Amino acid sequence: MNSFTDSRGAQERSLEQAKPLPPARNRLVEMCEEPDIAFNTPAAILDALRLEAARELFNERVEQIPIIAKLAADAEISEIKSFDDLVPLLLAHTVYKSYPQQFVDKGRWDAMLKWLQTLSVADLSGVDCTDVKDVDDWLSRLWAAGHSVLCTSGSSGKVSFLTHTMADRARKTRHLRWTQAWPFTKPSSNRPIFWFGPMVGRNSAVEMGVSNEENWGLPGQAHALDQQPLRIADVSRTAAMRTRIAKGLAPPSEIAEFEKEQANKAAAGKAEVDVLIDRMLDMRHQPLFIFGLWAQHFMVRERARVRGIPDGDFNSETVLFPAGGIKGLDLPEDYREKITAFYGNVIQIGTYGMTEMAQLMPRCEAKCYHAPPGLILLILDQTGERLLRPDEAVDGKLTGRIGFLDLLYEGRWGGLISGDMATLDLSEGCACGRAGPVLLDTIGRYALQGEEDHIGCAGTIDAYVRGGLPA
Amino acid sequence: MNVASSSDVQSVGHVIKGEFIEGGVEAYGSPLRRFATPALHLNDLVWPRSEPGPAFETPLAEIIDVLVETGKWLARDPDGFAADALERSAVSSPLPRRVVERSYALLPAQFDRAQLEYQVERELGGPVILDGWREMPVAPSGRVHSVRAFPPRIVHIIAGNAPLASALTICWGALTKGVHLLKLPSNDLFTATMLLRAISAVAPGHPTARSFTAAYWRGGDESVEGMLFQPQYFDKLAAWGGETTLRSAKNYIGPGFELVAFDPKTSISFIGNEIFADEEILQNAADRAATDGTVVEQQACASSRFQFLEGTVEQADRYCEALYAHMGVERTFCTAEGRPLDREMRDEINGIRYMEPYYRVWGDYDGKGVVIRSEEPVEFHPDGRVINVVVVPSLEEAVQYANVATQTVGVFPPERKKSLRNALANAGVQRIVTLGSAIAVERGLPHDGFYPLTRFMRWVNDEGEP
Repeated sequence: MNSFTDSRGAQERSLEQAKPLPPARNRLVEMCEEPDIAFNTPAAILDALRLEAARELFNERVEQIPIIAKLAADAEISEIKSFDDLVPLLLAHTVYKSYPQQFVDKGRWDAMLKWLQTLSVADLSGVDCTDVKDVDDWLSRLWAAGHSVLCTSGSSGKVSFLTHTMADRARKTRHLRWTQAWPFTKPSSNRPIFWFGPMVGRNSAVEMGVSNEENWGLPGQAHALDQQPLRIADVSRTAAMRTRIAKGLAPPSEIAEFEKEQANKAAAGKAEVDVLIDRMLDMRHQPLFIFGLWAQHFMVRERARVRGIPDGDFNSETVLFPAGGIKGLDLPEDYREKITAFYGNVIQIGTYGMTEMAQLMPRCEAKCYHAPPGLILLILDQTGERLLRPDEAVDGKLTGRIGFLDLLYEGRWGGLISGDMATLDLSEGCACGRAGPVLLDTIGRYALQGEEDHIGCAGTIDAYVRGGLPA
Repeated sequence: MNVASSSDVQSVGHVIKGEFIEGGVEAYGSPLRRFATPALHLNDLVWPRSEPGPAFETPLAEIIDVLVETGKWLARDPDGFAADALERSAVSSPLPRRVVERSYALLPAQFDRAQLEYQVERELGGPVILDGWREMPVAPSGRVHSVRAFPPRIVHIIAGNAPLASALTICWGALTKGVHLLKLPSNDLFTATMLLRAISAVAPGHPTARSFTAAYWRGGDESVEGMLFQPQYFDKLAAWGGETTLRSAKNYIGPGFELVAFDPKTSISFIGNEIFADEEILQNAADRAATDGTVVEQQACASSRFQFLEGTVEQADRYCEALYAHMGVERTFCTAEGRPLDREMRDEINGIRYMEPYYRVWGDYDGKGVVIRSEEPVEFHPDGRVINVVVVPSLEEAVQYANVATQTVGVFPPERKKSLRNALANAGVQRIVTLGSAIAVERGLPHDGFYPLTRFMRWVNDEGEP
């Protein structure tokens, strides 16, 4: 089995070797190294640079990615003159899973490669697809050839594949290092890491776990769930199972067996989580870095109750990073408050983002999310057809659908339209005293008719905490 | 959403037991399309079970007379009700104006006497069992029984994707002689009320007019549905369409309150290799297939979305070319130009557009249509005039793609129907038609897999000596 984890420092080295980004993008993306300046630069200054960077990026990608060329031609855009021009160029998350599932089921890896090529900047033709065993093997071949492909899966079980370069990956880690805990603390490699997920696998949560270790971890002190690597083939199997059920090909016994297998796997995962929770609780008086889904933090709290550990019994230098959605989980409405009270006086950090976003938005003291200079945040109307105009603001706030162009990516187009609904406070200053505009802490999902839920990793990682066919 | 309103609030009227009321009290809709309805008084929406419904003992012949007059009145439209409803619908309907216009022009024909009588004859063996108790032939036990198709009490969640759906529900409802509460769909807020006003206009205060109520409330609103959907008020819930409708309806189904589901469906086409015999047949088949694929702008359950073509990839490409050419044609239930595809559909198609030879795509996103050729069905739901042509070695092998969600299969040439129909029925299909006639719904035949009138009625026995 290949290790999916880079050796320590490998990312930094790959960044040193990488070709620098073109000037405007480079300037914006590198600003993250000085977050106090980056997040306090007036939007007017950043936006001028962002527009220039978007122009630069578009001119390059329109030649490289056929879909972008097509979108640009349809919208008659030959140049980015304003942020409005970016709107028709945003991709839906579904585009990253638009391949036919049959390709995976029947092992047509060359065809899959051809599909991935239509969304990639890099030439993938050098990837060796001979005798690929399964989707995980295929992913390993891609990684071995220098294409770091991440996966997410929605509730349908169909997997999205997002390619980026090794340098993209290193820049993401660097971005995280400087911004993730901003403005509360700076990373230092001196804490044991706890992550309630695997360190091996090809999705963004795993990547985050790895980055956290790289940015915060005391060497040799990364505690994670590593008995069951995250295998994409298992996710694909769920999709195949759904197809069989839909076609009426699966007899009841097969469905029952599949569900049982899932339940067993979840139970095994739960046992492993329990061990990890106990280890963490034993170490709670040291400064730790704790990364987990909200639901998992709730499990920690419950375990602590059983062990008689009171609220607020953690070291105040502990960094707590709760994340993820809670869809389908049985949590009380005030779960966030309960978890925050349980950990007590620790450094709780938060970011807004998604698998498709490299430069996540950190949350300030006023609980607002600040856009990094290298991220062009777009507030769209509900259909995602146009930007909302400042004169549509109510009380100085725009509520709409989130789209963005992430200026970091070299491996693919960084423009995406999400299913998230959020409110942007247009004020020049945030309540924290720094420059605006900022996103308020009220981000939710657009409830779209018949739309399956997306936001990738949660569904997959959840298999470690609960079983059965994903809802 | 804080998008500024860009349109006026539309006033949506209700019909309460034959009486039309208007007056915007309750506001609904999206910021871009708001509407307001009269206040909803739940007591007005039910008919007490302590007394028979207004038309329970009205002879069917008289009801049919009223319906026929209604059809004539609609054609004349002396008070401009139909024109007014058309104007309002044209603004609020997701369908293009010309399709709404042509659908409205077909409304009078829905009240055709021959069709109404044919349906009663086919489904119930004539009016006798509706108007009274029909004595059955002596049973093997030697006993003599009578049966009546007793008028029901039904809540209808009606479909709004085509104006004719309202006419269908109202005709069926009137023929049952029962009482009917119609929940208006937000995509067709005006047709049903207009038709009920027409009934009241030709026969003011007639029992049939008093047997209908049409009102809007937000689908799934528990404060309304939790109160109304009870066996003490209604026998059945006749629900059309979407998963969400059925999901919410499910909460209320129980003893004494039955679901009559017009399930959400997908339709497909089967095209045999015979079409390549000569160019004329190919063009004919493509024209028929385009008709079925664009019907109601591909918003209907009968609209063909996947077409299985028997042949080689090269033949399929010829067919696709011809199909695409026939898509931009003005037809009764579609416009020539269509409407631009929404961004989700565009993104789906863009995801496979550059994958020749696995896929080949004809057409663009302006609305005329898109044809996608592949060897397996695409995994998204083609919508808005997008047809996926799937190449199969034989039509028999395409049967595997039909399932319990398949409504109509349009077959060409028609001779192939006979050898396919059992296999298709076995897979779950409800309706096999000659390609090109997916929308030609015939009264008196089963609809969505059952006889609607038969299913709507309450079947009551009087057993033993008369």
